[in-house]
Amino acid sequence: MTKLHRTLMVSALALCTAAPAVSAQELVVGFTRDADTLDPANHRNRETETVIRNMFDGVLTRDSSMEIHPQLAESYEQVSPTVYDFHIREGVQFHDGTEMTAGDVAFTLRRITEEGAMGDGQTSPRQSLMGPVESVEVVEGNTVRVTLSEPWPLLPAMLPFQEVVSQDFVEEVGTEGMATQANGTGPFELVEWRRGDSIIMERFEDYYGGAEGIPPVDTACVERAIFRIIPESASRVAALLSGDVHIINELPPHSVAQVENNSGTEVMTVNGTRSFFIAMNMENEIFDDIRVRQAVAHAIDRDLIIDRILGGNAEAINGILSPDAFGKNDELEGYDYDPERAQELLAEAGYPDGIEVTLDVEGAFRDTAQAVASLLTDAGINTQVSVGEGTMLTQQWRTEGEPKTGDMYFTSWGNGSLDPQGIFVPTHMTDARGNSAGYANPELDALLEEAAVETDRAERAEMYQEAEAMAAADAPYVYLWVPQDIYGVSTRLSGWSPSPDSRINLHDACLD
Amino acid sequence: MSLTKLIERLLQLVPVLLGVSVIVFIMMALTPGDPVEIMIGDQNISAEQEAQMRRDLGLDEPVHQRFLTFLGNAVQGDFGTSFYHRRPVSEVIAERLPATIELSLVALILALATSIPLGVVAAIRKNSVLDRLATVGSLLGVSLPGFWFGILLLMLFAVHLQLLPVAGRISYQSEIEPITHLLLVDSLLRGRLDAFADAARHIILPAITLGLPMTAILTRVTRTSMLEVMRTDYITFAEAKGLSRRRVIYRHALKNALIPTVSVAAIETGSLLGGNMIVETVFGWPGLGRLVVESIFVRNFPLVQAAVLLYAVTYVMLNFIADILYTVLNPRVKL
Repeated sequence: MTKLHRTLMVSALALCTAAPAVSAQELVVGFTRDADTLDPANHRNRETETVIRNMFDGVLTRDSSMEIHPQLAESYEQVSPTVYDFHIREGVQFHDGTEMTAGDVAFTLRRITEEGAMGDGQTSPRQSLMGPVESVEVVEGNTVRVTLSEPWPLLPAMLPFQEVVSQDFVEEVGTEGMATQANGTGPFELVEWRRGDSIIMERFEDYYGGAEGIPPVDTACVERAIFRIIPESASRVAALLSGDVHIINELPPHSVAQVENNSGTEVMTVNGTRSFFIAMNMENEIFDDIRVRQAVAHAIDRDLIIDRILGGNAEAINGILSPDAFGKNDELEGYDYDPERAQELLAEAGYPDGIEVTLDVEGAFRDTAQAVASLLTDAGINTQVSVGEGTMLTQQWRTEGEPKTGDMYFTSWGNGSLDPQGIFVPTHMTDARGNSAGYANPELDALLEEAAVETDRAERAEMYQEAEAMAAADAPYVYLWVPQDIYGVSTRLSGWSPSPDSRINLHDACLD
Repeated sequence: MSLTKLIERLLQLVPVLLGVSVIVFIMMALTPGDPVEIMIGDQNISAEQEAQMRRDLGLDEPVHQRFLTFLGNAVQGDFGTSFYHRRPVSEVIAERLPATIELSLVALILALATSIPLGVVAAIRKNSVLDRLATVGSLLGVSLPGFWFGILLLMLFAVHLQLLPVAGRISYQSEIEPITHLLLVDSLLRGRLDAFADAARHIILPAITLGLPMTAILTRVTRTSMLEVMRTDYITFAEAKGLSRRRVIYRHALKNALIPTVSVAAIETGSLLGGNMIVETVFGWPGLGRLVVESIFVRNFPLVQAAVLLYAVTYVMLNFIADILYTVLNPRVKL
């Protein structure tokens, strides 16, 4: 037998044997998309942040119910409407064994907020997530003071989006080096990043334990955590069912039953942070009339669509805010499903024979839009669905005050911080980026501007409740629902639950 | 083939590449959708901050200016910085290219190894059950959507039989010091049979999925051309001489019958590049195809431009190789 023959035989034999045994201490996540970079300051992408967050901790963090907790800060306080002090923990180590200091925290925040701070004249693409930060400096040893150019109550809600890096390390490897190396303070340290394939991490044994407010405060439970990139959802489901991975994100609704019926796997859901709605172009003669807009709202049976098309995995909303958002108005009545009332309203508006309109939608939501269109058509609003590519539609509909074309737009807006400002201002303020309806209400604008700088939390909540009532009365949009994020998990998994901000923090996750 | 011919062919590449880069650049520029808007997503952002992001990506200049910059840099081998990875495009592509090359090569080898025997047997046993099966099989092979077929294989071999992994190139435990960056080759060179087996278990399903349409086409080509050759005078003469049927088929007929197969195979290898985009997505294969698709969706202009240029070069070179092979196999033809 030649050497080649022998090699082939042995290989064939090896092929037939089972996969290498997976240790109980190794947690694998089947994840939709690879990280763009490992530099916490040099990306603008949620999935990248999800991966990075397991290796880097932040000044503040959120738990899975979106409660904000100090993480690398011991505590923080608002000194004045524009000044926040963060008291940084002592004795926290970076993965390379050096100690993290208040200086590193200040450096991190300056690297994000200062123009040109990334080197080569480049500014961090995350700068705009930090609002009107004017300066960051270390005062009194371990206190970092953040000064804003104007009041911005969102700062604590937005800080969990940033992760702390080591100043020495950045200066040593440069921004180029930061893209592929990770030296954070998080519960896992990087072993290897196989681009496009997986990110392999190991438990950081000298971890300080994480946020006090999110027990257990300890090193990570599993020895190794791996993000394995599987973009296709059917394949992600297959990987979960076969036991190759223990958590998968973006489980498609039509696979829910399959995962539930399989022994050894289950489904977990959480309300997401994305509100779906239909924008009606108010620059258009037909939709300038509130009765027509109300007719559209009355013609859509949201419960039916949630039940039949979304598999029950969504919660209806009567205003733009998610049911979990701060400042949500729970008293809003909304528009019941009442096609007869819709026809009456149309007749009152001068369209007794109904109207002909188009509904623009992105390909991914075609089915839902078609269901909406057929309900609308039943009520005399003859609706054609027009499917377009996402970025083309945003160009057509997010015109920031420039004239719009089109009748209706089935769309959504995500709000990772769940603070009302992050979704209310862009979608309802006159000429704002996401104001696809072309809605303009000076009174509401004034209220939103006031709320944006109000530092009393209770007052601020009340303002947003009032704002929701105002918007609901004008009906620029038909508010639809907030879908749930659906995850498939192994029944061996404990200590982990999905989070509305779509993070997958593996610190406390265990496998039996 | 003479050296001048070779140089002539290589020089022909220049206008092709120039043309391709102009077309790609214009297409990307005309495609609606703004990378900065995509990056910002659902965030409120001041006009200055947006302008800053645009400046950082080099998108503040007019299109013709951007094109000239791109061309000037590309000539020097600099294809720019990926908008998302924030690293040189050539580096990002180089990381993903070996996976695609390895998958395409294995698919090609599998396709050749199955289609030629199948085609030959189908031809010499014309109208037999085997011939019918091969014909129906190859019809199915070209018409099955790769996407669907891949998922079917996954459900059978990974989920139900639990024999093979769902995604990836190799288990993380099987780490091999790279030499060629082709894992199957490297693991053998390093004498790591365990790693070889692991890599083979990962590549087998994607390679079958990718190679299936090619197998089908090559089976049909081989069968047809074999049938034609078997009808020629020199074969009749060989048979009349009393040569064994075996000798007639394998020594005399096959060599000529394979000419079209080989040239079709070389050209079809180019279409493997297209198939890669789907197969890599289904099997989570960390190759270039998937990266390009993802980059098109987020309007990562520099990466798409460089990758399309790379595809163009590969395609032209494959055609070139097909021509050369043709002359080698069939001395009557001259380039």
